[in-house]
Amino acid sequence: MSGVGVARAPASESPESATAAPALEARGIVREYGPVTAVAGIDISLQRGEFLTVFGPNGAGKSTLLGLLSGALRPTRGDVFVNGTRLDFGGVDWRHDVGVLSHQGFLYAQLTVEENLRFYGRLYGLRDLDRRIPERLADVNLGDRSNSFVGQLSHGMRQRLALARALLHDPDVVLLDEPYTGLDPSAAAVLRGVLTGLKDGRRTVVMVTHNLGEGIALATQLAIQVRGHFAWKGSREDVDVADFERLYHRVVEGRA
Amino acid sequence: MSAYLGQIYAIVWKDLLLELRTRERVVAMGAFAVLSAVLFNYSIDRTAVRPQDIGAGLIWMTIVFGGLLGVGRTFHLESEDGAFRGVLMSPVPKDAIFLGKTLSNFVLLYVVSLLIVAVFMLFFGMEIGTSPAVLGLVLALGTLGFVALGTLFAAVSSGTRMGETLLPILLFPVLLPMIVAGAGATERLLAGRPVSEVVGNIRMLAAFVLMAVAAGAVLFRFVVED
Amino acid sequence: MTGKGIRSTGTALALLGLVGMLLVYWLSFFWVSTDRLQGVSQRIFYIHVPAAWTCFLAFGIAALTSGMYLWLRDERLDRAAVCAAEGGMVFGTIMLTTGPLWGAIAWNTYWNWEPRLILTLLLWFIFLGYFMVRGSTENPEKGKRFAAVVAIVGALDIPLIHLSVIWFPQFLHPQPVVVKPEGPTLDGDMLTVLLTSLAVFTTLFFGLFLLRYALETLRAEVRARERAATA
Repeated sequence: MSGVGVARAPASESPESATAAPALEARGIVREYGPVTAVAGIDISLQRGEFLTVFGPNGAGKSTLLGLLSGALRPTRGDVFVNGTRLDFGGVDWRHDVGVLSHQGFLYAQLTVEENLRFYGRLYGLRDLDRRIPERLADVNLGDRSNSFVGQLSHGMRQRLALARALLHDPDVVLLDEPYTGLDPSAAAVLRGVLTGLKDGRRTVVMVTHNLGEGIALATQLAIQVRGHFAWKGSREDVDVADFERLYHRVVEGRA
Repeated sequence: MSAYLGQIYAIVWKDLLLELRTRERVVAMGAFAVLSAVLFNYSIDRTAVRPQDIGAGLIWMTIVFGGLLGVGRTFHLESEDGAFRGVLMSPVPKDAIFLGKTLSNFVLLYVVSLLIVAVFMLFFGMEIGTSPAVLGLVLALGTLGFVALGTLFAAVSSGTRMGETLLPILLFPVLLPMIVAGAGATERLLAGRPVSEVVGNIRMLAAFVLMAVAAGAVLFRFVVED
Repeated sequence: MTGKGIRSTGTALALLGLVGMLLVYWLSFFWVSTDRLQGVSQRIFYIHVPAAWTCFLAFGIAALTSGMYLWLRDERLDRAAVCAAEGGMVFGTIMLTTGPLWGAIAWNTYWNWEPRLILTLLLWFIFLGYFMVRGSTENPEKGKRFAAVVAIVGALDIPLIHLSVIWFPQFLHPQPVVVKPEGPTLDGDMLTVLLTSLAVFTTLFFGLFLLRYALETLRAEVRARERAATA
């Protein structure tokens, strides 16, 4: 009963490539909240260096999908793999490979910028924090703010700090949940710069957003999620960018 | 192992730093303790009952209610910007998160429990007895067991619609061993009885702490999972 | 066992238990000899003791299946836990009402801080928390996990609570008369009625437990079909 998703495959399907395991793989993941099914059978397989953007209307289950991919939520059915390791809520080792930027910052308002990063750095067992923290802060243009309390930062600055926090441990797999929400143009530019920097061939990125322009700009793979499953997915090269908005509306309204 | 301890330390450091900045919980618990002592004074007929006779019980009930104020807020600051989700997504074993939170709650409540004892002595002219170090140990074990179960059940209740209202309903029934052994030992120590009379109580408290910490460390991951 | 098998076994056990209950009433009112010291009021003992035993048995099953649920995440284990816990609440309530009724005559006071009574009372409250937690989460799966945690902590704490309450120097409760090293000291006919009653209560509990379990299974099936229909 894994829904009527377009993208649905039995869990027993053999891996498509005989080479290395995909950097990020989801096999038939389903997530139910009691009577509500937020994710209704989604398969994802991303090789190292790929960038998947998932679009979709509010309530399509995009954040739940990201929660499942990050191991924050446990799938009701199906499995997620990072570099071939199955995500398990109690596990810790694979968490070193995953970085998450949510629409919440995961920051403590009463701690300074530097203290927040130091706290997370210690949780990740990083040893070179005195060097690493200033570097990351410089990446997001917050180099002069390390002693400011997070509660006093603007929304844009907090979002940039949240980005520095998500990337502090240099993860292979980066998951971004609506990162552009509420950002002013200059903060959005910094974010775009950092995200572009993530396309270094080593990292794998999944971003969920309803911002079509920013979403297409960086992606190698695109998907449109409607009511818990991928109603459409395709490669960036096969898409007529100018026509994507029309495609999006057609898919969301169920006319594709 | 040292990485594990480092992660626990990071959580304790962060919690205590936050408490130092906001002073929310210590001030609330401390004020509660002093005000309770004042109200207790007017709730008993001091010509009929000597405060020394019921002091130990009042001290422990004040610790329980004051502690409830403190542990109930454990996950409050954490949820403001979703920070606790960030902690859960980090490679820290869930039992280390539990031990870190329990330890920082313990530091706060232990300080408050010493304050409570001091206030009762000051207000009611009670004597500390002949073994203040043993009394300190009894309070330490009692508060540690309390915060271990309190932290676990605070995580449970903060995940429900009822929130902190649920906490005493979950916590009080399982606190009985702590109250019996803790208040009993305190009463004898304050009365200047020899330490040998409270060895049994200390064993009971130690067993309670062991059960509470072990259960919390094992079960915490099932509570914080989403 | 199939759903149907569970239902018919449950019905059979529950009917057997109800008929047996009539027998227990008849035995304890008309057949068994009156206690020389306590008089007629002692007859409530044939309900009180088996209810207490069934209550602890039920909560034991609930805690055990809760622990297994957290480990294996099989819905059936959670269903078993909640059904057993409900049974425990019912029989615990019987124990908690018959105890004071008897105490009113024997001790001349309804309430007495008697260790086993307090133990049952606290157990009853632990499982009250179990049901409150279960019912107050948005996501039912979370409620099941929370409830299981409450049940396990309760089960681990019960031995300590027991040791603590018997520390208090109040021993009004009758001392054990059946299970003790030198053998039972209860008169033959009283022992017969007590053991019959224990068997009947246990049978009735398992009958009700299986019926409740079958009902929960049907409910889960309805929910699954509703979900399939809306998807």
